[in-house]
Amino acid sequence: MFAPAHRNAFAVALAFFFFVSGVAFRAAAVDDPALRTQITKLDNGLTVLLLPDTATPGVSFQMWVRAGAKDETNYTGLAHLFEHMMFRGTDRLPPESHERMIEGRGGRVNAYTTADVTVYYEDIAPDSLPLVIELEAERLANLKISEETLTSERQVVLEERRMRSEDSPDGRAFEALLGLAFQAHPYRVPTIGWRSDIEKVPVKDVQAFFRTYYAPNNIVIAVAGNFDAATTLAQIRRAFGQLEPATNIPRTPTVEPEQRGERRAVVYFDLRSPILAAAWHAPATGHPDAEALDVASLVLSGGRSSRVYRKLVYEKQVALGAQGSYWELQEAGLFYAFASVRPGGDIDEVERLFMAEIARLRDEPVSPAELAKAKRQIEVDLLSGMETANEMASRIAGEYVSFGRIRPIDERLAAYRAVTAEDVQRVARTYLRDDRRSVVHVVPPPPTAKAAK
Amino acid sequence: MRVRSLWAALGISLLAAGCSGLGAKPAWEQLPPPIVEGPVVPQERLHRATLENGVAVLILEDHALPRIALGVVTRRGADSESLAQAGLAAMTLDVMKRGAGKRDALALARSVEEMGAALSASAGWDSASVGVAGLSEDTERLFDVLADVVRKPRFDPGEVARARAEQLASFEQEKDEPRALAGKQMARVLYGGHRYGVSADGEPASVAKLDAAALRAFHARLFTPAQSIVFVVGDVTAEAALAQVRTHFGDWPAGAGLEHGTAPPEVAPAARRVVIVDRPDLAQASLAIGHEGISRRDPERIAADLMNTILGGGGFLSRLMSHVRADEGLVYGIGSGFAMRWYPGPFLISTSTRVAEAGRVVEISLAQMEAMRAEPPNAAELRLVKSFSAGRFVLGLETSSAIAGSLVDLDVYGLPPDSLDTYRTRMQAVTQEDVAAAATRLLHPDRVAIIAVGPADALRPLLERFGPVEVVKP
Repeated sequence: MFAPAHRNAFAVALAFFFFVSGVAFRAAAVDDPALRTQITKLDNGLTVLLLPDTATPGVSFQMWVRAGAKDETNYTGLAHLFEHMMFRGTDRLPPESHERMIEGRGGRVNAYTTADVTVYYEDIAPDSLPLVIELEAERLANLKISEETLTSERQVVLEERRMRSEDSPDGRAFEALLGLAFQAHPYRVPTIGWRSDIEKVPVKDVQAFFRTYYAPNNIVIAVAGNFDAATTLAQIRRAFGQLEPATNIPRTPTVEPEQRGERRAVVYFDLRSPILAAAWHAPATGHPDAEALDVASLVLSGGRSSRVYRKLVYEKQVALGAQGSYWELQEAGLFYAFASVRPGGDIDEVERLFMAEIARLRDEPVSPAELAKAKRQIEVDLLSGMETANEMASRIAGEYVSFGRIRPIDERLAAYRAVTAEDVQRVARTYLRDDRRSVVHVVPPPPTAKAAK
Repeated sequence: MRVRSLWAALGISLLAAGCSGLGAKPAWEQLPPPIVEGPVVPQERLHRATLENGVAVLILEDHALPRIALGVVTRRGADSESLAQAGLAAMTLDVMKRGAGKRDALALARSVEEMGAALSASAGWDSASVGVAGLSEDTERLFDVLADVVRKPRFDPGEVARARAEQLASFEQEKDEPRALAGKQMARVLYGGHRYGVSADGEPASVAKLDAAALRAFHARLFTPAQSIVFVVGDVTAEAALAQVRTHFGDWPAGAGLEHGTAPPEVAPAARRVVIVDRPDLAQASLAIGHEGISRRDPERIAADLMNTILGGGGFLSRLMSHVRADEGLVYGIGSGFAMRWYPGPFLISTSTRVAEAGRVVEISLAQMEAMRAEPPNAAELRLVKSFSAGRFVLGLETSSAIAGSLVDLDVYGLPPDSLDTYRTRMQAVTQEDVAAAATRLLHPDRVAIIAVGPADALRPLLERFGPVEVVKP
C-alpha cells in the first residue's frame, strides 16, 4: 500500500543480520509450529487460523482475500486500487484513521495485491489485537468509497505506477514479459493495471468489486504470535460473525492456450544496463513437478557456485546479475530468466549464454554434487521464515489459501529429497523448450527511433 | 452495510454513538495503552567476553531453531579511508568473499553453499562486517569459513580485477536508477571535497586505481583484534561458542588500527541550491531535499528522532505523508530521516512525484520544515509519536539476530551497552520543548539543497524559484 518510511536505526554494515536470519534445517523430523494452527470456519464461511506462541513479543493479524488482479473484468488495476481504498475511511472513521491508529501504537500496517490475492496485515503488540480486529471488521462492514477519496487515491496509485512500472527498467521488462507469455489469461495484465483504467474506473465499479469479492466466505484470517486463542476467536466471531456471505463469487473461465512457437518483444528505454527477461509456461502451484523446477532454478542461479552466475557474471563477465526462477501462481506458472547486462555489453551474447545453460539442463542430468547442494539450499530456505509472527502468519495463510491446508515442513522436505537428476532433466525437457519461450529485451532506443520521438 | 440483521446494524450504530450499555466502546475510542518501560535484552541468554588480544565477544543463545549466525564487525569503516581511495573499504570486503585460505573464489562459494549457508561481507561508513549463517550442526565449519575470510583473504589479483570491473559497471548501472542518482548528487552538493561527498562505494576515478596491494594493506589495518567484535547468535551454548571464538581468533596478533576520518563541514550547504539531473525520459521527478544532520553519538538524538517522526519518519502519522499524499494525492510515499553516522550525515526528505507537481511538493516540504520550527508539537502529537517509537522499537527487536545486531551497533558507536534497556525511559523524558529545540537546531528550510532527477526542461521553470539551478548529466 505504501513505501516504508526510511529510517537509519542500524548501521548498514549490520544489514546481513537481517537477511540471513531465519536459516535452519536439520535432517531429523522438524518440529513445525504451524502444525499447531487451530482452524475454525464461522457460519458465514470466514476461515480463521490461529497460531499462538507466547515466546514472541508481538502479534501479526493478516486478512487474505481471494481477490487479485486476475479477478478484474472491465478495469485493470481495480483489485489494487481497491486495496488502497480500504484505507480511506468508513461510515464511522475518517480516511487514514485505521493506519494512524495502528501506527500510533507502534504497529506496522500495510497491504499488498498480487495476481491472485489481496493481503492486509498489522504487526502489533498483543494489547492492540482487539483494536485491530474491530478495525478490520469495521472496514469490511462499513467501508466508505466516495468520489472524493477515489479521486485523490487514483493519483497516488498513478504515482506508484510511474515509480514501479513506467520509470523502472525492471518494471518495464516484467510488464512486457507477462503480456507476451500470457495472451488469454488475465495474468497477462500487470497487477497495478493500465494507466487509462486507473484513471477511468468509476466509483460504482469499485463498490461492486467490494461487494462481490470481500465476503467472509472469500476471506481467510490468520493470527500468529502472542495471544490467547479462545479469547481472540470469540472477538473475531463477535466482530466478523454477522457479515453476510456472498452466494456467487465469479472467477475467470479462461485457460491459457498452449503456446506454439517462440515469442519475442523489444522495449526501448533510456538505460545503460539492458535487461534480458524470458519465460516459459510452467505448472500452477501445487503441481508434482514444482519441486524439480525449484531444484533446476537453484542449479542455475543459487549462489556464486551456480551455473549461470559462474558463466555470465564470473567467467564471461557479460552480466551484472542473472537468475532463473520458478514462479507459481494459482492458475498457471512461469519459469523465468532474468539478467542485467553489463553496460556496454552485448545482450544477444547474454541471451545465447543463458539459453545454453537452459539447454544443458535439458541435455544432461545435473551432477550429484549440484543436486545435493540445491536440495540443501532449498531445505534451509524452507525452514527460514519461521521466526517472526508476521512470517508465521504469512506462511499459514498462504498455504491455506493455495491448498486448503497447511503443508507440514516434513512433507515438503520429503518431496524435495525425492527429486532425482532425471526429474530435473525431465521437467527441463517438458517445460523449458525453445519453441515455448517468450523473450524480452529492454534496450536503449536506436538513434533513429530516438530522433523520431 | 453488509450486516446480517437489523439488530446487528443497530448494535453497531449504538456502539458508535458511544453507548456503553451493550458492552465496551469501540476499541478505537479508547486511549492507547501506556508505554511500557524496562529492559528488553534477555540477559540470561547474553554472554560477553574480551579475549586477551582485545577481541570483544558477544554471544546470544537461542535454541528455538537449529541454526546459528556468526560474524566479525569492525569499529571502523569507509569513513577511515581517504577521498582519493574512496571505495577502498567496500572493495576490500567484496574481495574478501572471493577466496580465503586454501580456497579460491569458487571453492569458497562451494563450501558455503554446500552447507546451504550464506556468506556476507560489506562495509558501511563506520564499520565493516563479515558474517556467515547456517545450521548449528555446521558450527565448526562455519567458524572455519569466517576465520579464513576475516584473517586470510587471498586478494588474488584476478579477483580484484573482477570486483573492480563489477563495481565500475555498477556505477554505470546506477545511472538507470533515479533514486541512486539523487543520492549521489546530494552527497556531492553537501559534502563535495569531504569523504562524505561520494558514496561509501566510492566513485569511478578512485575505484579504478584500487589494486590488490591497496586492499591487502587496508585489510590489515581494518581487521585487528582490538578493533573487532565477534558475535555468535543461535543454537549453541555460550561455552562452546566462546571456545570456538578462542580457537579461531585467540591467536590473532595485534596490529595498528585506523583512525576515524575528519568531520564534515558543520553547515552544508551554505545557501539554497537546486540541482537537476537531466533524465528527459522519466515520468516522475525523484526529489531529495536536505542539508547536514546529526551524529549517531549526539546526546539530543532521541529528541531529533521524535521530531523527525512527526515531520516525515512516522508513516501516516507524519505531517509530510498527511499533507502530500493523503490530502493531495501528489506522491506514493514521502519520508524524512537523519543519516546518523559517527559524524553527522545528511538530513533528507525524499519522494517522487509526477514532473508537473515537483514544485508543489518542494513547496509543501519546505513549508512543513518551517512549521516544525515555528511551533512545537502539541502534547497529543508528541504522545502519539512516542507510542509509535516505543512500539516499533519492540517489534524491531523481535528476533535474537536483531537484538544482537543492535548491541553490536551500540559498541561500534561507543554508546552505553544498556542503551536498549533504558531507551524507552529516556524517550519518555523528552519534552515538547526538547523537540522544538531539535527542530530549531536541525531544520533549515532557508538553506536546503534540492535535487531533482527528471526532464530538466520541464523541471527548471518549476524549481528555479527555490534557488539557483544547476543542470547536470547523469
